[in-house]
Amino acid sequence: MNGTAARLLRSGGPLLGLLVTWVLFATTAGGSFTNWNNHELMLLQTAVVGIAAIGATWIIVGGGIDLSVGSTIAVAAMVGAAVLRAGHAWPVAALATVGAGGLVGLLIGTLVVGALVRTVAAAAAAAAVAWAAGALPTAARLPLVALAGFVAWRASARLPWSLPLSPFIVTLGLWGALRGLAKGLGDNQPIYFPRDDGFAALMLPGSALLPIGVWILLACGLLAAFALRATVFGRHVRALGSNREAARLSGVDVVRTEIGVYVVGGVCAGIAAVLQLAYLSMGDPTTAQGHELKAIAAAVIGGASLAGGEGSIFGTLLGAFVMTVVDNGCTKLGLDNWVQEVVTGAIIVGAVALDRWRQTRR
Amino acid sequence: MLRHLLLGTFLFAAACGGHSASATPSTAGGKPRVAVIPKGTTHVFWQAVATGARAAGEQVGVDVVWKGPLQENDRAQQIQLVQQFLGEGIAGLALAPLDHAALVPAVAAAKAKGIPVVIFDSDLDGTPGQDFASFVATDNKKGGEMAGHHLAKLLGGKGKVVLLRYQVGSASTEAREAGFLEAMRAMGLEVLVDNRYAGATVGDAKTAALNLADALRQAQGVFCSNESATAGMLQALEQLGLAGKVHFVGFDASPPIVAALRAGTLGAIVVQDPKKMGELAVRSLADLIQRKPVAPFVDTGAVLATKANMDEPAVQSLLR
Repeated sequence: MNGTAARLLRSGGPLLGLLVTWVLFATTAGGSFTNWNNHELMLLQTAVVGIAAIGATWIIVGGGIDLSVGSTIAVAAMVGAAVLRAGHAWPVAALATVGAGGLVGLLIGTLVVGALVRTVAAAAAAAAVAWAAGALPTAARLPLVALAGFVAWRASARLPWSLPLSPFIVTLGLWGALRGLAKGLGDNQPIYFPRDDGFAALMLPGSALLPIGVWILLACGLLAAFALRATVFGRHVRALGSNREAARLSGVDVVRTEIGVYVVGGVCAGIAAVLQLAYLSMGDPTTAQGHELKAIAAAVIGGASLAGGEGSIFGTLLGAFVMTVVDNGCTKLGLDNWVQEVVTGAIIVGAVALDRWRQTRR
Repeated sequence: MLRHLLLGTFLFAAACGGHSASATPSTAGGKPRVAVIPKGTTHVFWQAVATGARAAGEQVGVDVVWKGPLQENDRAQQIQLVQQFLGEGIAGLALAPLDHAALVPAVAAAKAKGIPVVIFDSDLDGTPGQDFASFVATDNKKGGEMAGHHLAKLLGGKGKVVLLRYQVGSASTEAREAGFLEAMRAMGLEVLVDNRYAGATVGDAKTAALNLADALRQAQGVFCSNESATAGMLQALEQLGLAGKVHFVGFDASPPIVAALRAGTLGAIVVQDPKKMGELAVRSLADLIQRKPVAPFVDTGAVLATKANMDEPAVQSLLR
């Protein structure tokens, strides 16, 4: 009996959690909760946190943590808003946004593996070339700058100063620093850009099929789940998270894998930022506050272990959806905000307790 | 056992799903249901709006649902709330938008669904009476004029004044400042400074005010256009030994500001009436639901509070 329960919980824990919450609100809130339009809305409202949580799952499986993803979303969204304000088309802005997220991920990764000195050297070299080549047109300058950074990065590989830092500390610092940067990008103000209906449609409910934002969430989920399970990189990430030393001894390039996993997280944050930007139709430097904890909570509800090595993208998406269901259902019931926050907190603690219980049973 | 539990929940859900399909979401006990969405829920200001909205709901026979974003300033969550209420088929929506642009698509969606929208407290891009039914708020320009006239009275109609503005791009305070400057021109008072900004916090405002020390020493009157600027200026005047020596008129109340009003270091403050704001927002919605015409702009009024009238019940209730 106990064995059956444990097996069921391992495979279907998050699904069961979702079912229980769903049934709870379906019975108490009724038809206004269960109708399809409301479900479309809930899926849409899961998109931003869900994509950020996919990145968080990779990082957690790799044995790390990212407390700065909310601030990363804000920085990336502000970059995208600035590009849109400058009059570029929205796909260009979307690329810039995802790129900004990826760069932040790269920064976190290099800091975590202890390449702070190398990062500073590479950035300094790139900045110096950018300054020296100031007269050249941008198209010629960018490759030069990138090349200088790359050369400095490679050349500094033999430097003896390596200072690995705990990802908790690195991202705790960046949580504040990136939020500040987001505000600085907008000169302490939101960035407004001309409205683009095509861009806003990414996150608009009421289309014939589901909004594009939801499809992006599902596509990211499928891709990330496949990559985590079936690619060499994914296998290395899992190995890194379950036992770093064993992974290193069996030939995994742990430094490169660890940097890579934070880049994945950053790119996910960048994609989430694109959707947030489309949703808000403005660049808000204070946006996505608390998303870092929601992303981690979604991963944990979904069965990821904060000890690393274990986690499921499918479970994470369910976990993110559970939190939207709670938000939505509490509003339908007309519960006060404080009740809603208590309920959400209780669900997260319950899920972590479940995680611990599953671990002690093995 | 778990399997039974699962089966049970499924059956329960199926049974309830069938039952709830007959519920009509836009009415509760025959009363039309309206959603009132503030910018936040924890500030005293919004709690007063809620009191007024609920009281008006009782009087005019609409069911008021009060729900704000969990975090103040979370624009995304405010959009989510609007979308969710629209999905429930509410009869009307009153909204204090956190952003004049970000909430535009959500309000347009309400209009497309034929749900009347009243914007309150802060403005939204668009034309009241066209993009949304009505804008219910303090007439900030009039509030600024009120402050200006009172300051002129305190100064006996002559002297020099300093205006410490709040922040670039804040529409409500800019209107107050414009009203104040208009009153100064009309009364023939000299404005020494009108281009300095206090910034977002009390600390910033204090720093900005201290930087104006020379001008403040020459002036006989001072005006600030919001709560944090007023509180910061108050601290600066105390530090400079000018408190109670220059005539100071502020805007909005907080405990230290009310204490200063009582102590006499602050001559007067203009306060908004949030309770009336909530009340008029819901009354306008009720009129719209009954297809009665509603004015595109509804002024919720402002009151001048001084040491003399601050203990009158009507004023006292606005000073908490």
